[in-house]
Amino acid sequence: MPIKTVSFEIRRQASPDAPAVWESFELEWRPGMNVISAMMEIAANPRTRDGRETTPITYDSNCLEEICGSCAMRINGRARMACSALIGNLEQPIKLEPLSKFPLIRDLQVDRSVLFQNLMAVKAWVPIDGTYDLGAGPRVFPQQQEANYPLSNCISCCCCMEVCPQFNESTGFVGAATIAQVKLFNNHPTGRVLKEERLRALAGDGGVQECGYAQNCVEICPKGIPLTNAISDVGREVVVQKAKDWLRG
Amino acid sequence: MAAPRIIVVGGGLAGLSAVIKIAEGGGTVDLFSIVPVKRSHSVCAQGGINAAKNLKGEGDTTDQHFDDTIYGGDFLANQTPVKAMCEAAPSIIDLLDRMGVPFNRTPEGLLDFRRFGGTLYHRTAFAGATTGQQLLYALDEQVRRHEADGKVHKYEGWEFLSAIVDSKRTARGIVAMDLRSMALRAFPADAVILATGGIGAIFGKSTNSVVCTGSAQSAVFQQGVCYANGEFIQVHPTSIPGEDKLRLMSESARGEGGRVWVPRKPGDKRNFKQVPEAERFYFLEEWYPKYGNLVPRDVATRAIHKVVYELGLGLDGQAMVYLDLTHIDKATLNRKLEGILEIYEKFVGDDPREVPMKIFPGMHYTMGGIWVDNDQMTNIPGIFAAGECEYQYHGANRLGANSLVSCIHGGFVAGLNSLKYAKSAPAVEGDGGAAAEVARQAEINKELIDNQGNENPFKLWRELGTTMTEHATVIRYNKGLKQADEKILELLDRYNRVNLSDKSQWANTSFAFARQLYNMLELSRTVVLGAILRDESRGAHYKPDVPERNDEKYLKTTKASFTGDVSGPRFEFEAVDTQYLKPRPRRYDAAK
Amino acid sequence: MATAQQPAAPSVNRGVQPLRAGQGYSFVWRKLHSLSGIVPIGAFLIEHIVSNFEALKGPAAYAEQVRFLNSLPLVRVLEWAFIFLPLIYHGVYGVYLWLRGQSNVVYYPWAGNWMYVAQRYTGLIAFAYIIQHVLRQRFMGVSLPEHPGAAFHKVQVELQNPWMLAVYVIAMLAVCWHFAYGVWLFAAKWGITPGETARRRFGWVCVVGGVFLAVMGLAGIWAFVGPKYQNAPEDVKPAVTLSAPDMPGFSPASRAFLLKADS
Repeated sequence: MPIKTVSFEIRRQASPDAPAVWESFELEWRPGMNVISAMMEIAANPRTRDGRETTPITYDSNCLEEICGSCAMRINGRARMACSALIGNLEQPIKLEPLSKFPLIRDLQVDRSVLFQNLMAVKAWVPIDGTYDLGAGPRVFPQQQEANYPLSNCISCCCCMEVCPQFNESTGFVGAATIAQVKLFNNHPTGRVLKEERLRALAGDGGVQECGYAQNCVEICPKGIPLTNAISDVGREVVVQKAKDWLRG
Repeated sequence: MAAPRIIVVGGGLAGLSAVIKIAEGGGTVDLFSIVPVKRSHSVCAQGGINAAKNLKGEGDTTDQHFDDTIYGGDFLANQTPVKAMCEAAPSIIDLLDRMGVPFNRTPEGLLDFRRFGGTLYHRTAFAGATTGQQLLYALDEQVRRHEADGKVHKYEGWEFLSAIVDSKRTARGIVAMDLRSMALRAFPADAVILATGGIGAIFGKSTNSVVCTGSAQSAVFQQGVCYANGEFIQVHPTSIPGEDKLRLMSESARGEGGRVWVPRKPGDKRNFKQVPEAERFYFLEEWYPKYGNLVPRDVATRAIHKVVYELGLGLDGQAMVYLDLTHIDKATLNRKLEGILEIYEKFVGDDPREVPMKIFPGMHYTMGGIWVDNDQMTNIPGIFAAGECEYQYHGANRLGANSLVSCIHGGFVAGLNSLKYAKSAPAVEGDGGAAAEVARQAEINKELIDNQGNENPFKLWRELGTTMTEHATVIRYNKGLKQADEKILELLDRYNRVNLSDKSQWANTSFAFARQLYNMLELSRTVVLGAILRDESRGAHYKPDVPERNDEKYLKTTKASFTGDVSGPRFEFEAVDTQYLKPRPRRYDAAK
Repeated sequence: MATAQQPAAPSVNRGVQPLRAGQGYSFVWRKLHSLSGIVPIGAFLIEHIVSNFEALKGPAAYAEQVRFLNSLPLVRVLEWAFIFLPLIYHGVYGVYLWLRGQSNVVYYPWAGNWMYVAQRYTGLIAFAYIIQHVLRQRFMGVSLPEHPGAAFHKVQVELQNPWMLAVYVIAMLAVCWHFAYGVWLFAAKWGITPGETARRRFGWVCVVGGVFLAVMGLAGIWAFVGPKYQNAPEDVKPAVTLSAPDMPGFSPASRAFLLKADS
């Protein structure tokens, strides 16, 4: 009986200034296989389809449960998490490429630290007085919790930024993920104290105004976060804030 | 005097907790993490975090929490730190709540609590089924705030290689490797806190994340830090077997009413719907009527093992049993468990609201770890440890939802004590040995790159995982453990012939992995040899040849010290602090 | 063999820069662009299409419309301040926005993404069309402000060229599309329709409004090319009474200057 196989085309680049090349791999198929397990297989036996020796593929990964946000890459052209990309659901040969909007490190590994810088720029935190015991937090009704929880599920995978036509080097757009976090923290009873600062931050260059509302973010988000709703809500509040600032001088 | 400079290695719950306390206490922190800290393994914790807040009118107390934890850990844990943790837990929950963790709520706007294994109280606060993620993010946000204030500097994408220990056996900093340029660098510090998580990778496939190799623990172990209770490894009863890893199916599934069963008839090929209630074997409920599906993990895991391997009742003859949620209404499931149900749906393809999940035990948690005193300091002054990488809170078995609280509490304690220590630490002489340590690490790197041979590190790792899973998880026999040690020695020998297919010096992941692999091999010996030495059954450590607990001989902490000799580490037994609760038999089939 | 000293580490590109919190004025420019599309440009568009509808009543009525508009005080100032300058700004800045976007509809062929692309193409068509339309109808040939009676004939001659007719029809559709989706975008981005349901419902409102405008616009074109007023005289005497269509919300003055640019 012939062995069922899986074929891959992987875009390799040894370093940021090295040329990109495509390498083909053919692996034995096993039930339940995903893109990550295929790359683990390649690491254990780094040979291309035509038998040439190569190097293991460099890629980010950690939890493999689609919760840490590490393994985002373009699979058959689309940004998604590699751990939840089951081979059985993909068209072959499976094309793997790094995210295109972030500085390439090597192979499928890119630098997504811009998101963390953005989160810092909008003060995405609750400014508690200190970690000493101050008793229970503010009361939060279940409805509020249910509205905030989805926003808090953002895994920082940056897929929403990758697929956004406005997220690029000329706009320097902040991207949907950060905007959703602004909504989350502005909703929090204590986090609200920084609301005005966050809104003003988001009116800076690269802020919420750069959104073109193509809505790709909400389509691609692996966690189903209501990103377009967040953009609308935050967009309105930024306008109101700027208008207030302008009128009050 | 300049602000104390403290290094924290690891950006999970324990590491971030320590960072926050240090920054708040006036210190400056260099935070090292292989992955961006927001992607640390704590993010995987699902079910919740324990604290005896007693918001359900059940009369729960921190003493009761303490008792459950010690009892659940089969009396192996030192009681003083565990007591302190249980007493701190309610205020930790309050703090997390203030930080904005979206915990589930009652209609009155208070925290909601669910039940978890090993207790009869509703003691587990939860944020859907992604509690670890929510907690990690809350701490990450606070750390980012301190980072914005210049009190914290993050080194994400740097790997800890070793501590810098001076001639007086005092820690003076660390050597780390930039995982992009592969450059080595010494970072001086007044104290070092390791918060580097579990050692799941030693078992090949586990519920742990890719970075949970135990490499950092092993590195300091090889430098003289003691390693305690290495043989205690928690195998979670409900995981989803996968090609790349075992995915966790949270205990909260059972906490919300999930039932574990198999058809009574071996090899029953019927669809689950056609198996009438009378022909279903709810073995946990039958065997442990009081706790039912919420027995502690070691007990549930062994029960599943028995059902599958001794009674031959695995589903369709395979090593799997049902975890059934289909009797619970969908709205409740979505509100309380959506995160984990999605995981199952995505990775298996079935909807657990409609079809019972098929699960099997998988390596999950490392109870043992770096030996620390009650101040979280190791036997090398200046090196502290907190979180899963140390040994002190869970004894022979960890109760579900106790890990998050132990990580945060341990991190706080370590953070505060490291500050205290740093303020009174003797001044460093010269570079404290930094240059020599960098040179030693550079030599190791050079040897590895120059190695000529025919071994692939990933293949060696697979062999290690297979051996460890076979001999050192649920059921242990001395014979098998000895075979495992021989296998590890063989792998250590073959490691000398590792030939990296990638010899470049840029983002070379196989090079970094090969370095971790050596540490994994060294550390796995403490697990296996510790298990051989402990000739009893206690908590997660179960030997069918000696199925009873033996307090007289083994109510002791196993403490391993590295020797560098083929005979393996030197072991000693240390008395356990049992000043509050007298050890009593641990039985979950009756009231305790 | 990599035993030798390693070469200098490669440099990683800088990538997309982080948010410049509190810096720059792009917020004001972006919002002005968005707003100008609604008021005055969008409002003017409606006015223009509705008043072109007047042409269906014949050359004399049309001439009276033009005459009335040009009789307003400060009409040249109003024309520049509320029509030409906003149009130039909206068009030029719009092109600039387009150049800064990076369409990826090939990989992500979703409805919203298609609309994003369509908004850019329809905008470009509209802008190109408007430039030639203003040049040829307002600044070249017979000066209509001085000779309102020549308006109908001038447009009719223009539309006798079938190519030009095609340009007008395509541009009319593009403009209406661009405006209708622009209104939808405005509501979404300014947070007037912050929910999925609100956006879907308002989407239908915009579809209906856009189609209505397009039909009216095409009817206006029909007035010049249809059989009824073929070979209109070069100059007519404006009809005595102004029979403006019912346009709630617009004062006669605003109606006047808005209508004027087209004539």
